[in-house]
Amino acid sequence: MRIPFELSPSGLRVGDERVVDFLAAFSRKLLALGRRHPELASLGFFLRRAEIERQLSQLDGLRRPRGVVFHVPPANVDTVFVYSWALSALAGNTNVVRISPRAGPAAQAILDVWHSMDDPAITRTQHFITYDRDDELTAALSEAADLRVLWGGDESVRALRRFPLAPHARDLTFPDRSSFAIVSVEGWRRATEAQRRAAVEGFYNDAYWFDQAACSSPRGVFWIGEEDPSAEFRALLVTIAAEKGHVTEPAMAVQKRVSAYGAAADGRVSRIHFDSDAVTSLESAELLREWLGAGVFTHTRVSTLEELVPSVVPRDQTVTHFGFAAEELREFAIRSGVDRVVPFGSALTFSPVWDGFNLLAEFTKLVTVTV
Amino acid sequence: MSLAAELSALTEHHRARCAAYDRILTALGVSGPFAEVADLPWLPVRLFKTHELKSIPDEEVFRVLTSSGTTGAPSRIYLDKAAAAAQTRHLAATLRTVLGPARLPMLVVDRRNIVRSSSARGAGVLGMANFGRKHTYVLDESERPDVPAVKRFLDTYGGEPFLIFGFTFLVWQYLYEVAREHRLDLSNGILVHSGGWKKLADRAVDNAEFRRRFREDTGLRRIHNYYGMVEQIGTVFLEGPSSDGLYCPDFADVVIRDPRTWREQPVGEPGVIEVVSTLPRSYPGHVLLTEDLGVCHGIDDGDWPGKRFSVLGRLPKAEARGCSDTLAAA
Repeated sequence: MRIPFELSPSGLRVGDERVVDFLAAFSRKLLALGRRHPELASLGFFLRRAEIERQLSQLDGLRRPRGVVFHVPPANVDTVFVYSWALSALAGNTNVVRISPRAGPAAQAILDVWHSMDDPAITRTQHFITYDRDDELTAALSEAADLRVLWGGDESVRALRRFPLAPHARDLTFPDRSSFAIVSVEGWRRATEAQRRAAVEGFYNDAYWFDQAACSSPRGVFWIGEEDPSAEFRALLVTIAAEKGHVTEPAMAVQKRVSAYGAAADGRVSRIHFDSDAVTSLESAELLREWLGAGVFTHTRVSTLEELVPSVVPRDQTVTHFGFAAEELREFAIRSGVDRVVPFGSALTFSPVWDGFNLLAEFTKLVTVTV
Repeated sequence: MSLAAELSALTEHHRARCAAYDRILTALGVSGPFAEVADLPWLPVRLFKTHELKSIPDEEVFRVLTSSGTTGAPSRIYLDKAAAAAQTRHLAATLRTVLGPARLPMLVVDRRNIVRSSSARGAGVLGMANFGRKHTYVLDESERPDVPAVKRFLDTYGGEPFLIFGFTFLVWQYLYEVAREHRLDLSNGILVHSGGWKKLADRAVDNAEFRRRFREDTGLRRIHNYYGMVEQIGTVFLEGPSSDGLYCPDFADVVIRDPRTWREQPVGEPGVIEVVSTLPRSYPGHVLLTEDLGVCHGIDDGDWPGKRFSVLGRLPKAEARGCSDTLAAA
């Protein structure tokens, strides 16, 4: 298939009024769908006028759009393509967004809203295109792009890199990442019962929303201090998962057994606790970074954050935290090299700085003028 | 010794010889002896795809069996000489209950060179060929029915009991259709078949219909479906003569488990099938949770003594909706 539309310079500026207006209207419509699709509420909230203007005000220097941006978002996280696209549109680019035919109901709802809106400045320059596997089209779009944005893990990034870009163009890639949680034992002890409960509820959302398989879903918990209150945490998690009506399909239950037993066979896990059908806890000296199933967590005690630093790897992206002081967290972030340190409950909240990239800035180019 | 006691002892045998198996049981915090078969710790069968699990030293490995998984790595099952001999002997004992003591002339519903492929079909035919003689293959090398060969076989041996073996779908597609079209008389045959009903479900053929049509159109009445897997080679669960379920040989058993609590389901409640057998001594595969769904119909109330059960289908694959590697090459 050839590119079914014309790719030309957008004629838009960085922060173009027409785009800001469109995003604000888009935001209102998404917010209205928030009851049925909670992830659309977060998306709508991110795209509201005040937030968009705040993002724009943080750009420094003289900036122009990059040109044509080709986005390949992951198939299974329904809202990523909108964040990626919206910031690039705000930067004034001509955009092509490949939508997977396997995209879920939230993505479909977004597309319905998109198709219901008709603004010539937008529809002429912004293209959402649904296709499955089509090497010819992927090659043509890659060749035409000034910037290609690849989400969706190592395999996808590798597969898509086979399609050459123009010499001046480049990729912005979001490969596989892993994430973990840290809890201060002292902070946990100090917290009231209600605060602990709220923390575990936040952790539940971080972990279970995408079956623990999102890059930023915590795979394990490090208990920082001299005692180990993980039993209380595990019991709370069991309760909350039950209250939220979490359902473990038989296939997922088997998957969790296979991976937990496998980790034990490899000697990476000293004890396995099947706390409930939703919660499997592994006692381990290390974080198991691979996906083991929805609701499988390593618990590891470490004396200090300082002691944790050497076991952090470049793949580690998001650290969700509870019970620490701001200064401790900043020091840990700088020393360890992780990308993001956020409180429990915020792991999946999209941020315009992702994997260390300021997306809006990446979607523009800096121009210098010397007089 | 009871089956539970034998399996308890076997658990200790494997713990002492397979360090990875011992680490799993230690991590689970379980230890024997186990009073009931359902109390024994099970391993998910997929673990034999992801890990090398054996209870014999490398130099004693005599045969390595591999499963033909449609996706991913195959299972690897390690047998020493004793285990290889035991599986053949036990398979023979199980089949004797329906075939009798003599080797029968055998009609194989497959092509001759399938045994040279490393597929489950090839392994199945190779294993079963031992129990017959005068083998005649129903398919030619291009997988077309060789009708003259089948007719010759029936002219020579059709007047006395003979064995028919093949995968369920091939048996239906090639033997049934050909026999009906050519009005072949299979009334002295004993059919042993396996492989699942999924492909036949598209043609609205279930076990009852399969048996009825064979009986009415070819005279074949002695039909035994069976259930078994490479991870418990030598152990097959044979269908009773009246098709009232699959039965366990006396050295094996099944436990139907609730996938939420993993407790044993009562009769009539479907669940995940666990297969147990005293045969696996060279690898810790004596208590395995399969990825098949099944239901137990009754105990000591059918054609043969013991538990009778059915296989209902496969568990779907677990899929996460995360952001990693979910996108096929665009």
